Amino acid sequence: MTTTVVAATPPVTRRVRAYFAPVNRAAATPSIFDAAQTGAFSLDAPPAPWVDLGWCTGFTRKSGTKVAVVQLGSPAITQSQMRTEVEATVSLQFESWGKLQLALAAGSQQMNLLQTATGAAANGSGGIAATAAPLTPDGTSTATRLSVGAAAATAFSAGDLVAVDVDYSGQTGFVGSGVSAAYVRSSSAVGGDANYVRRVSLNVGRVVAVNEGSIQLAAPLPAGVPTTAMKVSALAGFVDREGGSFFQEWSALFVMQGEQGDRVIFHYPRLQAMQGSAEVVETLVAPLEQMRLAGAFRALPVKDANDGEMVLCFRSYLPGAMRAV
Amino acid sequence: MENAKDTFYIMLRDRLTALNPERTISVRGVVRPGVLVEENELVTDAVVPDAFTLRWTALAVDPRGPLPLTTLTCEIRYATDGNAGNAGMDRGRLLAAMDVELSSALRAAPHHVVKMNYAGSSVGVAPVAMATNIFWSDVTFAPTVTTDEQLSRVATVEVFCYQEAGEQ
Repeated sequence: MTTTVVAATPPVTRRVRAYFAPVNRAAATPSIFDAAQTGAFSLDAPPAPWVDLGWCTGFTRKSGTKVAVVQLGSPAITQSQMRTEVEATVSLQFESWGKLQLALAAGSQQMNLLQTATGAAANGSGGIAATAAPLTPDGTSTATRLSVGAAAATAFSAGDLVAVDVDYSGQTGFVGSGVSAAYVRSSSAVGGDANYVRRVSLNVGRVVAVNEGSIQLAAPLPAGVPTTAMKVSALAGFVDREGGSFFQEWSALFVMQGEQGDRVIFHYPRLQAMQGSAEVVETLVAPLEQMRLAGAFRALPVKDANDGEMVLCFRSYLPGAMRAV
Repeated sequence: MENAKDTFYIMLRDRLTALNPERTISVRGVVRPGVLVEENELVTDAVVPDAFTLRWTALAVDPRGPLPLTTLTCEIRYATDGNAGNAGMDRGRLLAAMDVELSSALRAAPHHVVKMNYAGSSVGVAPVAMATNIFWSDVTFAPTVTTDEQLSRVATVEVFCYQEAGEQ
């Protein structure tokens, strides 16, 4: 029995699904996606360490790569070509708002509006934070359940947002558990604020229940099981700032699922925001308007282990079953 | 393209049945899911209330690709008189329920299914899976029409398929 191969048609896609994974900034190591191994993953269940950012629209990628020619002779005749500049950018709009989407579209640090201490002076990115609740040292906390003890747990209730991370204790360089959330130049630059790491951390969650001295979260923390050195701070929301000096950097995947079973995957191992925080406003019915987070990113190079080439983006195409190739 | 029409009908029927198995109709004495294709039934002007009726209208064929891409327009008509036990005062509620069922069925992922050839199928004989998928657009809803005590609506969806070699 033979199976018929049909002609390959252009991919017909509806939407773009975005995923991100952290870059180890200290070691300059991005997350690499191997489409040969896991390219056919379920869109709702990306392989680790990739995190779903949801659907996005307006996905536009541009190649800024320039090709020049070498001409010889008189009259000049083009003899060869060379690449004089390699560049790629990506822009898109996120269809959902969340900490991760805000962080990617922030342009610089994406900060948490930590619950302030009583009487704290007003500050644009949040005043002096209230004292954080330490995790109990018995190691019973998990990625979705934070053990803080019966007394501390009374300060939290279902519906709260929390940031879970270590105290700032004078460290310099990239800070933030799971994801490098900011770069600290010196302790004095952050005023020695013990809450600074929790102020910038992406290790946040939503409380869904509080019982028996533990806080239950709606979803696992991005950084996984917390260490006993971490503490829990309640937060009101998120804030980013125009003009910050820090560049976020991410590994990103953009997946277009074709209606014929084919799939196109754009993998940018290193993306940095190339604009400040921005939104795109769409009028539903005036005066109602819908705001989408708008991000624009510049790709940075990685070395392909197969041949040592420095590249910005991997575009993979997984044909549908029994399509001519 | 008959295969595409049949496949879309079966897909929609199955999804709507899963959402609301109690939506049924009796056609010539046989109780069926509440979805029918107008051109496959006896000619009638009557509107079947509380059921979805598919009417195939426009057709376009784009021959540029390696396989011709066919676009079929499907109008999905449905109406309700409301529940007699409620003197029809729940007709708006029942129409809204049908709106939600149809929207949910067509919005659910995936937006494609394998095109099937039902020509030779019968009891005990399965339809034949073809090599390409059909897929469809988002659904658009026309305004509600009130005719006497009845509320009705027409929803429209574009159904796409590739014309495979040898396909009739």
